[in-house]
Amino acid sequence: MMDAGRHPRIKVLVSSEVIDVSGAVGNFHVKVRRRARYVQQDLCNSCAECTKVCPVIIPDEYQMGLASRKAIYIPFPQAVPSAYLINPEDCLGNNPIACGKCLEVCEQKCIDFDMRDEILEVDVGAMIVATGMEAYDPTEITEYGYSRYDNVITSMEFERLICAGGPSAGHFVRPSDGERPRRIGFIQCVGSRSSRYGSPYCSNICCMNTVKDTLLLADHYPDTDAKVFYMDIRAFGKGFEDLYLRSRSSGVRYIRGIPGEIEEDPQTKNLRVRVENTLAGELEQHELDMVVLSVGVRPRLDSNTVQRLLTLSRTSDGFFLEAHPKLKPVDAPTRGIFLAGCCESPKDVKDSVTQAGAAASHVQVLLSAGRIRIDAGTPLLEEADCIRCGRCAAVCPFHAIHWQRGGVPEIIEAACSGCGCCAAECPVDALTMRHSTDEQLKAQIDAILDEHPEDKLLTFACNWCSYAGGDTAGTARLQFPVHGRLVRTMCSARVSEDLILYAFEKGAPLVLVSGCHFADCHYINANRQTVTRVERAWDRLEKLGIRPERLHLEWISAAEGQKFAEVMRVLDEPRAQVTAEEIAHTRKVLAEERKRREGRKEKMRAAARKKREAAADARAESSAGAAASVAGPAKS
Amino acid sequence: MEEERRFRCLRCGLEFTAVHRKDGEPVERVCPRCRSNSIRPTKEAKG
Amino acid sequence: MENNFPRTGVFICDCGLNIAGTVDTAAVTEYAQSLPGVVCVVHNKYTCADPGQNEIRKAIGEHKLERVVVASCTPRMHELTFRACVAQAGLNPYLMEMANLREHCSWVHAGDPAGATQKAKDLVRSAVARAHELQPQIEPEVDVTQAALVIGGGIAGIQAALDIADGGMQVYLVEKEPSIGGLMAQLDKTYPTMDCSI
Ligand SMILES: Cc1cc2nc3c(=O)[nH]c(=O)nc-3n(C[C@H](O)[C@H](O)[C@H](O)COP(=O)(O)OP(=O)(O)OC[C@H]3O[C@@H](n4cnc5c(N)ncnc54)[C@H](O)[C@@H]3O)c2cc1C
Ligand code: SF4
Ligand code: SF4
Ligand code: SF4
Ligand code: SF4
Ligand SMILES: [Zn+2]
Repeated sequence: MMDAGRHPRIKVLVSSEVIDVSGAVGNFHVKVRRRARYVQQDLCNSCAECTKVCPVIIPDEYQMGLASRKAIYIPFPQAVPSAYLINPEDCLGNNPIACGKCLEVCEQKCIDFDMRDEILEVDVGAMIVATGMEAYDPTEITEYGYSRYDNVITSMEFERLICAGGPSAGHFVRPSDGERPRRIGFIQCVGSRSSRYGSPYCSNICCMNTVKDTLLLADHYPDTDAKVFYMDIRAFGKGFEDLYLRSRSSGVRYIRGIPGEIEEDPQTKNLRVRVENTLAGELEQHELDMVVLSVGVRPRLDSNTVQRLLTLSRTSDGFFLEAHPKLKPVDAPTRGIFLAGCCESPKDVKDSVTQAGAAASHVQVLLSAGRIRIDAGTPLLEEADCIRCGRCAAVCPFHAIHWQRGGVPEIIEAACSGCGCCAAECPVDALTMRHSTDEQLKAQIDAILDEHPEDKLLTFACNWCSYAGGDTAGTARLQFPVHGRLVRTMCSARVSEDLILYAFEKGAPLVLVSGCHFADCHYINANRQTVTRVERAWDRLEKLGIRPERLHLEWISAAEGQKFAEVMRVLDEPRAQVTAEEIAHTRKVLAEERKRREGRKEKMRAAARKKREAAADARAESSAGAAASVAGPAKS
Repeated sequence: MEEERRFRCLRCGLEFTAVHRKDGEPVERVCPRCRSNSIRPTKEAKG
Repeated sequence: MENNFPRTGVFICDCGLNIAGTVDTAAVTEYAQSLPGVVCVVHNKYTCADPGQNEIRKAIGEHKLERVVVASCTPRMHELTFRACVAQAGLNPYLMEMANLREHCSWVHAGDPAGATQKAKDLVRSAVARAHELQPQIEPEVDVTQAALVIGGGIAGIQAALDIADGGMQVYLVEKEPSIGGLMAQLDKTYPTMDCSI
């Protein structure tokens, strides 16, 4: 921690959050908001005079509320940076009537109430997300009475109570009476491995944490009678089994069975748990002075902003999704972004450090390359066809197209992410995605539907989510009918109304457009355009006497293999119900419709061309006229 | 800024009412019965 | 018999038994030979392994291939591998196309070998059709900014920041709380070493 604070090449920005990210791998531009701390970090020498006079008393978050702090404080003694700060929400304010006491006593004169939040802008080539996890709050498990019974604490609070730097200065005492507890019970898997409370997954660290806690107790207070209530002890890591056996041989009793309820004796504040010992096959009752709930861990839900800005996804457990569970465990799906520590999955310090090292080396590989190639996925403009309508610029989520009224749109390649939303929006097909042209997509559709189109469920799938969701279904070996045929696009917003109609014209009984959930869209919000286009296509189909029920829309995330399989199963029935006559009728209607649409586009292009020519003529004439009028007066 | 609108699920046919934001920002829609996202605003409400 | 289709090579992968266990890859190989423009079809046990990649490079030279279709696993896994492979043999990497016979076919239709084989043929046919329409592309090159940003100053973020900075690069470590340290700063001793955590 200290090393990071002192390192000449690390700039530590605390009280700070990322508020905006633009650019792409190699060149991200990041905006960070740093909240004002009202104490000048470099001047403060941590003398603590201010804290003594501050009248405001607040529960101390660091001590899990077991102690208090002031409105001006240092988060904990070893904090980096080592400087005090004022929490403006707690502070009474620098108004002589209100307070301002700290200002008077600070000899360094480093308290500054005029400080404002700052916005810092930095340019970086790569990013690592290490936003961690948080401990489960067991209040909702009313049977355990946490927060109602004084002597029921969490393992996080245990850490503070046993710590020499803790609220009780290392004297392990129970909250109700300050006495040292002699009979302590630990309940495992609180908020983990449960369908009722918390999360269904194993939190990975709580078994070993309890083993550690019992050893600390055995070491500091050998006369403690410790009992651990568990489902099974998971001590899989290097050296873990040794610790577990040491804990057992130190006299800790491990009882297989999770208590259903804790009762408190209102007088003594002692606790009673009843448990079915599943090894002995007996109902047991235990009197305890204190119960420690070995709480599980959960993803940090306040990292939603980071998720959105960096277009990360979450697995169904809520932790951030890696690019591949086995082969790319530290890569985020977006290039140039890596994951480290518990934001990816619950793990201990060793594994967090290991993953951090791996992420750091990935970053170094990328940075030391100096130059990298980026995908050639940008649009090409056919200027002669463009009618200067500006619709492409309006829908581009990355503002990568600059357009001024009446002008030719200008594509900023470095800002373009290649979603293809612009090309699908252009009313006259003036934009071509270099590696996802209409011809390429239509060739695929033709090939799929050439023979027995009635057997095919034609599916447009975006690369990042629904195609990947199909991969996840595969990896999980989920089984479903064989009729799905995927056409991959980078984003579902690449799918134009024309492409949908084309698939029906070629005989598709059913068409499915699929993409990322709104929160997961890898192109900021391009898939909102997908909705608009599918709605337009539904209207169009209906007008042409084709059942809109034959066009489906589904959001399937990369993690939702289950949903992918289910959609494939469910849509098989409506696909099979479309008759040969219906398909034949659709083909005929849409072939005519396509001719009409092509004709309309050609008219629009020609009209715009004519208008431009007329305008050019007018300009030429007026400048000729101007020249004449200049020449005119000189003559006379 | 918000109003009620009718929607129809194109997978299972369920018709239902949901809030629609007038500023035009689309929201992710899902059928309350079959969980499909093929949710179409119904005609009469569109006018 | 000359036609206007680009000269296309198709490489069909068994992926051990992962694909071949369900899909009749020999039948798909035979089918691929009948597709327009296809001048060579190679059937491999593992196309992504060195011998498999060597065959692709060899075939590009021998058959003057203008397009390559690899029918194997998901492009999300090996698209970059095979792009690099064809580039080594002098073919523009954007002239390579993949058909996903594993994740999207053999693995999800294990109970329907006939249907899966039919689907595999369709996927190859569709990939070949798309390949014919592909155009060579030049990937734009960009300079990489020599700095990194780490979000979150727990033990993982701190360790990553130190590693990158020790490697000589500038690092910004962004922490939302007033101190770095994260969860670990609140722990007393940590397993397995049972020593102090800060
Ligand atoms: C009760 C308990 C006991 C444990 N005991 C042990 C043990 O004995 N041994 C062991 O090896 N492991 C133990 N662990 C696990 C250990 O705490 C973790 O492995 C480790 O702390 C994870 O580090 P991290 O950096 O991934 O996450 P964290 O420590 O959670 O750090 C994440 C940091 O990111 C910051 N952050 C979050 N969101 C943002 C944002 N949007 N912007 C900026 N910053 C953000 C947070 O404020 C935090 O500082 C224990 C865990 C618990 C809950
Ligand atoms: S001004 Fe605020 S921080 Fe300073 S002493 Fe008063 S309440 Fe405390
Ligand atoms: S009195 Fe001033 S120097 Fe001392 S701790 Fe407070 S702010 Fe820092
Ligand atoms: S809409 Fe998408 S493809 Fe078009 S310019 Fe913008 S980012 Fe690029
Ligand atoms: S015609 Fe197409 S390319 Fe031209 S401005 Fe309109 S949308 Fe953009
Ligand atoms: Zn429904």
